[in-house]
Amino acid sequence: MLTIDYGQDGAVVASGRLDAAQAPVAQAFLDRVQGTVTLDLASLDYISSAGLGVLLKTQKRLMASGGRLRLSGLRPHLRDIFVYSGFDKLFEIEPAR
Amino acid sequence: MGARIRERRLPARDLEAILGVTSALAAPFDLMTMLAEVVRAAKQVLRADRGSVWLHDPKTHELVLEVATGIQPVRVPFGAGLVGACARTREIINVSDCYADPRFDAGVDRASGYRTRCMLTLPLVDHHDVLVGVMQLLNKDGGVFDEGDEALATALAAQCAVALQRVRMTEALIEGERMRQALEMARDVQMSTLPRAMPVVRGYDVCGTFRPAELTGGDTFDAFVNRERLVVVLADATGHGIAPALSVTQMHAMIRIGLNLEPDLGTTFAQVNNRLAETLPEDRFITAFIGMLDPATHVLHFQSAGQGPILKYDASRGACDRYRPTSFPLGAMPLAVPPAAVTLSMQPGDILVLVSDGIFDHRNPAGESFGEARVEDIVRERCAGSVADLMQALLDAVAQFGAGAPQEDDMTMLLVKRDAVKRREQTFSRSVDALPAMVAFTDELFAEQWADSRLRPTIDFALEELFTNMVKYSPMGTADVRIDVMAVEGGLEVTMTDHGVAPFDVTRAPDVDVDAPIERRRPGGLGLHLTRRLVDSLDYAYDEARGESRITFRVTTRALSRDTQRQGREC
Repeated sequence: MLTIDYGQDGAVVASGRLDAAQAPVAQAFLDRVQGTVTLDLASLDYISSAGLGVLLKTQKRLMASGGRLRLSGLRPHLRDIFVYSGFDKLFEIEPAR
Repeated sequence: MGARIRERRLPARDLEAILGVTSALAAPFDLMTMLAEVVRAAKQVLRADRGSVWLHDPKTHELVLEVATGIQPVRVPFGAGLVGACARTREIINVSDCYADPRFDAGVDRASGYRTRCMLTLPLVDHHDVLVGVMQLLNKDGGVFDEGDEALATALAAQCAVALQRVRMTEALIEGERMRQALEMARDVQMSTLPRAMPVVRGYDVCGTFRPAELTGGDTFDAFVNRERLVVVLADATGHGIAPALSVTQMHAMIRIGLNLEPDLGTTFAQVNNRLAETLPEDRFITAFIGMLDPATHVLHFQSAGQGPILKYDASRGACDRYRPTSFPLGAMPLAVPPAAVTLSMQPGDILVLVSDGIFDHRNPAGESFGEARVEDIVRERCAGSVADLMQALLDAVAQFGAGAPQEDDMTMLLVKRDAVKRREQTFSRSVDALPAMVAFTDELFAEQWADSRLRPTIDFALEELFTNMVKYSPMGTADVRIDVMAVEGGLEVTMTDHGVAPFDVTRAPDVDVDAPIERRRPGGLGLHLTRRLVDSLDYAYDEARGESRITFRVTTRALSRDTQRQGREC
């Protein structure tokens, strides 16, 4: 399962599994964010290409209006996915906060 | 003549005397007391001055006079003298003047200073017509023995014979009991060396049993871990009784100590052989199998000293292979150099079957042996279960085959099975809604430690990407998707089968340009692109006739080290 919501410091916190079954939930949430947003992924266990698609779509939308999506706390095994897919070049990836 | 004499009726007075003797003879349980009682009774009834009883020794065919406990008995051959003649003819000899009879040996009188006048010599024959011995009565009080005495003595002799035979059988039983106790003790020593529990070896199932025969046989088995290798021993010393039980016990200890000091199988094998060749009696030897299995490489080396056939069930062929001994039995003669060991590879599901000849040679009432083919049949039938179940099935089959025939030899078995391939399959409906069920499926595999938990994200990723690919790009398909997972060395192999679909070769899907600027990036194709990079191997096959797509991928710990290296270069 996936939970996604604003954390205490204004960042969006996603935890659990961002797979094809949960992608619509994440997409619906991220469609509402504006400006530059930090997405805290420290508790995200898993991401598939469907999840990457959600992030890509959100990034494109935010960048069109001058904002962007920053990722933080990416776990090592998820970092591989970002590196292999070239997504590390599309997102600013911060270390865990 | 005996027949004529037996027809005569005894006077009431004599009958009473004999009945009195009968009850007196019921009491003693040891031979010397019984002999004394018999002589005392005969002297009393026949009013003789002296008496003696010679016992028949059927082994030497001699007549033996027990003089006193601790003194060498006097022995007379069958047929010699009055005693021997009586034993041979089984008839009473009544001599009224001994010194006039050429069969009389006056030597005894000379030695003792006694003067034998007359003598009654009569055979002691029991109810089963067995000659127990010969009784002699000397010097009738106030005269010579007459026909009445002969009749009386004959009636008395029958009583004495039965009483003596009873005591002799009782003594034989007591001797047998002593022997049984000694055997039991040897058996206890032998049993005490058997492993109390089977060693636990990762990836293997080991089970052994020892079923002793009524008389001690010389079987033993052992299974223990020495320097991370599993050592298995099955041996059989020649013969029955205390000696083989003790010699296998000795060999058992030699092997354990030998391998502790010198872990080389060949060296230990030769040393144990040479030590036994020095200590075992000339006509004795021990057939023995000694095997060493490395559970990491699954290589088994073995030496077999005349122990065979050695069976190995080959799971891939579903058949048993038979191996011959590498050497002659242990202790038969010294070995200058160790013989060449046999090397076997234990593949998943393979079973090493060590069985003593007490099982191969177990006979049914028709005289047929259980044989190797029956053992092999049962191994093939029961190869899928645990070795404990297989062992029970073999023992049951042997018992059924024997149909109550007595077990003549020890039955010993030692089975070593490499765990069969772990495989599990499940079908999933063609919908992304099936993903939680798929996660639950992999949850179970990793909870059961089918593979290193670090492989979990990659397994889940590849499963999801390939599955959603099937769902999205084969809309005509209606059948469920079958996922078949198999544990392989270091990881998992997953096969996903999709029916009633058009071919879509996931290995040839175009690569994604991961360096493209964001405006040109699309999410499509990324899943397969990443999957190909993450897994060890990815294969695709299409069955035209069935419209079946089959995707197989493998993820192992090799992928982990590869990623680490790659990341290292990139940093």
